[in-house]
Amino acid sequence: MLLQLNNIFKWVQQGGQRVFLLKDINLEVEDGEFISIMGPSGSGKSTLLNVIGMLDTFDEGEYDFLNESVHTLKEKYRSNLYKEYIGFVFQSYHLLDELTVEENLEMPLLYKKVKGSERKALVADMLDRFNIVGKKDLFPTQLSGGQQQLVGVARALIGKPKLILADEPTGNLNSQQSEEIMELFQNLNKEDGVTIIQVTHSEKNAEYGSRILNLLDGRKI
Amino acid sequence: MFKNYFKIAWRTLLKDKTNTSLNVIGLSVAFAVAILLGMAALFQLSYDGFHKNRESIYKIVKTQQTPKGPEAVTSQPAPLSPSLATEVPGIKRITRYLQDGMLAIQAEKEMDMDIIWVDKDFFSMFSFPITNGDGNTSLSDLSSVVLTKKSATNLFGSTDVIGKTFSLLVNGIEQPFTVSAIADDILPESNLDFEIAARFESHQDYSENKEAWDSQYHDVYVELEEGVTASSFEKSSESFIDLHYKEGIDMLKRDGASADKNGRFINLKLVPLNDVHFTNLKNGFVEISRSLPYLILGIAFLILFIACVNYINMSIAKSAKRLKEIGMRKTLGAQKNELFFQFWSESLLVFLVSISIGVLLSVVFLNDFKTMFNTQVSSEMLLQPTVLILFVGVIMLITLLVGGYPALLMSRLGTIQSLKGKLQSTGSNKVRDMLMVFQFGIAILLITGTLILWSQIEYMRNKDLGYDKEQVVSFPLNGKRNSNDVVALLRDELKGDPNILSISGADSNLGLGKDGSRSSSKIGFEYKGRVVQTNFLVVDHEYVQTLGIKMVSGRNFQSPSDSLGVVINETMAKELAEQDPLTAQLEISDGVYFPVLGVIKDYNFNDLDRAIEPITFYMSKEWGLTYAYAKVSPTNMANSFTVLESAWKKLEPNAEFLGSFLDENIDRTFRREKTTAKMIASGSIIAIILSCMGLFAMSLLIVSQRTKEIGIRKVVGASVTSITYILTKDFLKLVLVAFLIASPVAWWVMSEWLQNYAYRIDLSVWFFVGAGAIAVLIALLTIGSRTVRAARANPVKSLRTE
Repeated sequence: MLLQLNNIFKWVQQGGQRVFLLKDINLEVEDGEFISIMGPSGSGKSTLLNVIGMLDTFDEGEYDFLNESVHTLKEKYRSNLYKEYIGFVFQSYHLLDELTVEENLEMPLLYKKVKGSERKALVADMLDRFNIVGKKDLFPTQLSGGQQQLVGVARALIGKPKLILADEPTGNLNSQQSEEIMELFQNLNKEDGVTIIQVTHSEKNAEYGSRILNLLDGRKI
Repeated sequence: MFKNYFKIAWRTLLKDKTNTSLNVIGLSVAFAVAILLGMAALFQLSYDGFHKNRESIYKIVKTQQTPKGPEAVTSQPAPLSPSLATEVPGIKRITRYLQDGMLAIQAEKEMDMDIIWVDKDFFSMFSFPITNGDGNTSLSDLSSVVLTKKSATNLFGSTDVIGKTFSLLVNGIEQPFTVSAIADDILPESNLDFEIAARFESHQDYSENKEAWDSQYHDVYVELEEGVTASSFEKSSESFIDLHYKEGIDMLKRDGASADKNGRFINLKLVPLNDVHFTNLKNGFVEISRSLPYLILGIAFLILFIACVNYINMSIAKSAKRLKEIGMRKTLGAQKNELFFQFWSESLLVFLVSISIGVLLSVVFLNDFKTMFNTQVSSEMLLQPTVLILFVGVIMLITLLVGGYPALLMSRLGTIQSLKGKLQSTGSNKVRDMLMVFQFGIAILLITGTLILWSQIEYMRNKDLGYDKEQVVSFPLNGKRNSNDVVALLRDELKGDPNILSISGADSNLGLGKDGSRSSSKIGFEYKGRVVQTNFLVVDHEYVQTLGIKMVSGRNFQSPSDSLGVVINETMAKELAEQDPLTAQLEISDGVYFPVLGVIKDYNFNDLDRAIEPITFYMSKEWGLTYAYAKVSPTNMANSFTVLESAWKKLEPNAEFLGSFLDENIDRTFRREKTTAKMIASGSIIAIILSCMGLFAMSLLIVSQRTKEIGIRKVVGASVTSITYILTKDFLKLVLVAFLIASPVAWWVMSEWLQNYAYRIDLSVWFFVGAGAIAVLIALLTIGSRTVRAARANPVKSLRTE
């Protein structure tokens, strides 16, 4: 078992009332799953993803990640945990404009304190694998959206995570680019055994996954 | 990691060139100015710091309670120092110190030189480095003198002159002196300045004043034995004072003076050598104030502060653009401290560049700074270990605080919020507003200060002093001839010239002449059972008309033979308290009574920081004159000046002509005020420029942040004016708050400062309103162009960028 959510609640206080963002979420994720989270806007998809990614906190419930109880961990250990095991992919790529493709790929390794020579090798592997060696010295703004997202996925993968969290990874892409990214995800899942959880609006993209999770108003349906 | 930080810092800085260059320019200028001002202040504070025994050396000040209030003088009688040394325990060494100008003659050379007359321990007490000869024994002989390298070169053309002789003109007679040692040139931070040092006992007035306790004409410095404190010495000198000043104390008691809190009338106070440069005796007691150097340091810090505020504000405002980066780095596993370190190192980079440029600028402008502000700072001063440590320490602290604060704010942001690009801005905006209020407050304070300082200086320059300062030239009688004869000869020589209206002389200059020396004499005498004190001026009979001083009653001196009477001013007449002052007879020297011939209208013979005191004009062949005065006609004054010069050259071919118009001399006495005014003015200009740079950058950022809002407002029909108003209003509010805070502070500071002047301007409300208006106007101009441009932009364009 990779992770387990038990009775997760998250709310905000608004005018003396609790507005629930997540309500009694229970979820078990096994190694090697490919889960798609679906639901209308405001249903709590991204919030759930952020909670799983430990970027956001929750108010009630338990969360175990690789048998560590996340809700009792201090922030520092939490960030060590997700830095080690989780890779993020965003809708708007979130590449750093000031850094080249190569440097963007290198950055997670810097925070993991990987040594220089090893870093170079890993970056070179990744560039090779995604066929972007020729673009390594370009800045993100010089790439197309699809290429940027490719770099985004490469960056998420470079730390060899067990889990990839993707928040509408194809939201900003056209259909052909979307297909490429989704196929990439499928390959990663099947061939490398990487667990993937994605948030998506599109039925078509959801079908790439092995399981679909539907949310409405913070509840699982 | 470092490399990565550095890389991203470099690229971020390059990306926003306007902002970066504004920051770097602002900080460099601020650092350069702060370094220069700091050096000037340190120079002031380092006065006399080079004397090894400075901790135990003191200058003696006599304070006494007169019927008119306390009085403090540094002039002491000649017998004081030998008597003190033998009668009061605790003295290691003591020296008298009399400054004078003398004509030195060596072969064909005649030179007016600054000479000090001191006792033989002078060079053991004070650490003037001696290059040739032995300092301790240099003045063991009455006819031996010490020269400085410079004066030796001037006089002999070489510094290898031990044992050589030259003459000083004493009472018209050439007297030989032998060079016994050569001192290094006097450091600029020395209060004791000389070209020649000679034995006090060889001074022309010594023999007649040797035992005279009532003739006070020189300073005294004392070095106490180890373990003796100034206060214990002052205490143990009390019985000595009671013995030697008995007559004076009795007179003070008789005339109705009230004793001080210790029940004493006369005290000897010791002023530590370290404080001598900062001593003010004007109010009748020893006041030590280092306010000028601290004011300069204060301005330096204020300017640094303004530049730092700019940096902080810009960094915080800019952080909005970097939210994505912060969020992204956090999701990639960056810790708070790693983020802090990243942003802080970015600031460090900016600061290191700015400081380097600042140091460079300060070196480049050092010479201009020195001439502009009359200070003698040198770059060697900066290399002293303590100064270096202080400098590095201050810079580290500033970098840590100024770079650290925005870095701390940024590293604390939440991951999700920053990824979404939302910034809770309320908190940091308050800090920003406060900093900007502070910044503009400082600018307004400095503008007000500048306005008031300049008005006071202008007031003093233009004030009617009661004599004619525009048309009168004064010059020192620094030649070989007898001074009275020279004045008479000059008068004869220039009689035919229609542009020279009259010639006279006196034993003191008005204002500060080109020779840079000032002196004044005071006497006290018994008049109808009480002591009357008056300034005492030896004049020539045409003095009153040459200076254009008005007569109130009686008559002026008519001819050189009128020397049996005196002329007094109105204040003196009041002092005498006679129905008709013309009936008064003054006992100026024992047993000789001088009738008052006439009363002149009061005129400001002292600087304008002092009220008009009593003065008595006196004519005497024996006392001699030291300055000649010439009144010229208002037409062709430059030509008349040359005529005077050539007449003087004809009479005294070897003496330098150091004439100048009295209004120039008066201006010279404001040099300190002018320097201060210049410093504050340049400080305020720089403060304003820096504040405006900050304001400009802020307006750029805020306008860019509010682009969407502006677009929406325009789409729903807002006019350009209303949008400009909305954008400008917030800044103007800050400037107004700054004005409200700064004005009372400025009022208080400036009214305190004006208390120093007996003649001063009124603090009108317009100074403050003016300063506020200048600040508002400049702020408006700074942000105006940007806001108007933003308000006029096509809304479709601004909305499309969203």
